[in-house]
Amino acid sequence: MLTVISAGSVYLVNKARDDSKWVVHTLEVENQINALLLEIRRAESGARGFLLTHSADFKTDHDKAVAAIIPVLDRITRLTGDNPAQRDNIEKLSAAIETRLGQFAQEMDFVRQSQPDKAIAMVREAAAANTTSAIGSVAGAMIQEEEGLFRLRSTNADRSQTLAASMTGIGSGLVVLLTLISIWLVRRSARARDDAELRLRDANLNLEATVDERTADLREANDEIQRFAYIVSHDLRSPLINIMGFTSELEELGGDIFRRIGGLTHVPADGPPLPSGEVRLEDPDRQLSGDFSEALGFIKSSIAKMDRLISAILNLTREGRREFEPVKIDTRELIETIVSTLAHQAAEAQAEIHIAPLPNIISDRLALEQVFSNLIDNAIKYLKIGVPGDVRIRGRTKLGYAIFEISDNGRGIDPKDHQRIFDLFRRAGTQDKPGQGIGLAHVRALVRRLGGTMSVSSELNTGSTFTITLPITWNTSNRNADR
Amino acid sequence: MTQPVSIIMIEDDEGHARLIERNIRRSGVNNEIISFTNGTDAMKHLFGADGSGLVQKGNALLILLDLNLPDMSGIDILKQIKENKYLKASPVVVLTTTDDSQEIKRCYELGCNVYITKPVNYENFANAIRQLGLFFSVIQVPPAAT
Repeated sequence: MLTVISAGSVYLVNKARDDSKWVVHTLEVENQINALLLEIRRAESGARGFLLTHSADFKTDHDKAVAAIIPVLDRITRLTGDNPAQRDNIEKLSAAIETRLGQFAQEMDFVRQSQPDKAIAMVREAAAANTTSAIGSVAGAMIQEEEGLFRLRSTNADRSQTLAASMTGIGSGLVVLLTLISIWLVRRSARARDDAELRLRDANLNLEATVDERTADLREANDEIQRFAYIVSHDLRSPLINIMGFTSELEELGGDIFRRIGGLTHVPADGPPLPSGEVRLEDPDRQLSGDFSEALGFIKSSIAKMDRLISAILNLTREGRREFEPVKIDTRELIETIVSTLAHQAAEAQAEIHIAPLPNIISDRLALEQVFSNLIDNAIKYLKIGVPGDVRIRGRTKLGYAIFEISDNGRGIDPKDHQRIFDLFRRAGTQDKPGQGIGLAHVRALVRRLGGTMSVSSELNTGSTFTITLPITWNTSNRNADR
Repeated sequence: MTQPVSIIMIEDDEGHARLIERNIRRSGVNNEIISFTNGTDAMKHLFGADGSGLVQKGNALLILLDLNLPDMSGIDILKQIKENKYLKASPVVVLTTTDDSQEIKRCYELGCNVYITKPVNYENFANAIRQLGLFFSVIQVPPAAT
């Protein structure tokens, strides 16, 4: 908009300048016409004076005036070339002037030939022909025309100037207005930004509060689960004791009953009844006794299994409740201790354990012991039968984490079981070794609590590698995040 | 002067109570066994209606205590027994399912004489009780303060 206004005002100013130029031009034309008339009159009066006095002064005057007439006329012709009305006038004027100049020349000739009478007659003739007055009237018409133009052009110029001035005024007004508007807009956006910042800060605070709240909730939920698991496993044990106790009582009772049956059916011919434990029964009775014992045996083994599971849960929850204490640990020494306690099993499995240099870390000693002893124990336990074992423990550090790898050349784990082996009470592969399916679940829980991660890479029959990533320095802030 | 020792058994699970009693009897202990299935009744018996414990003055008692009772914690009972001048000399055997080391430590700190975890394995259970019977026969239950 401002551009339009500036362009407009530039245009108007130019127009005003043009108009003024035209006004000046008109004045110039008028001036020249007047000068022409003056020169003609000078020539005329010079001629007359010369005619009367024969003085050379008048002659010179006359000649000068005559010489001046043609250039002035030319200039007027040039100046008024743009105006058709004036062109006509000019033609008439030049014609008249030519006639007059011719007359002047004739007069001068007559004077020079010393025929003053003829010259005077010529003058009279000229006066009668009224050439000079014709020139005067044409010039007057021209002047009038020019004056008309002058008026018109002055009005035009005035209007242009007024327009230019008002345009400039409007432009300035607009500039001021736009400035005000932009100030207001800037203010408004600044205020909006401040508001947004404030809201952002609020949101941040809220977010922190929300995160804290959620963390607290999670912690509470976790504690709740721990308590729940503890109480449930604990309370499950109580009825289990009864079941086991009375099953055993029943077993004894069963023994007594069958002994009695035996006693009744087999009245020993010679002397007192057989000592207990050696009951002689008839075939159907023996069958019954066998079934009875079998049933009780299944009940008892199931109870024993259930008890082991409950104990496992109890231990896990207890482990989950234990406070960790970060201490500096010589990892190699820790693993060597574990290996020495497992030496017997290793010898039995013909396994060799190689310990590569390991990075030392700051962590909970007991937890680490459990992690490594479980993994090394597993490595020795699940070797391929008949193949000498080769267990390797390696370590390295990376970006504040210590990475430990425990690899073996054992039976390996089917990739589809890689997730499963970390689940509680789940096992994979041939079930030829005793175990509850707790070790790896426990290890992973510990590693997580220590702020680390663990993974396995393995294929059937080619051995397994368990990788544990632990922070080199485990500190209280980790614990706070965890607890 | 010597008075037969009464065994006070505070055990909410009747099955457990029966098993304990049976095994005590099997071990040849023939002392009177008074059993309670909740803490309130046991407290009433031990401390009397006035709660002073005066009713047991001069009686020789042996207390078998389960920690998980429906109405109160066995630990509270243990604490009160050991704080009462008439009862504090009576041996208390804590017989419970809890094998938490913290809990065991706490009980010994409060003055429990023996802490036995009830094993699910019945052989072990029976063994533990029989040894307790042995312990009864050896232990000199002092007469309560006069």
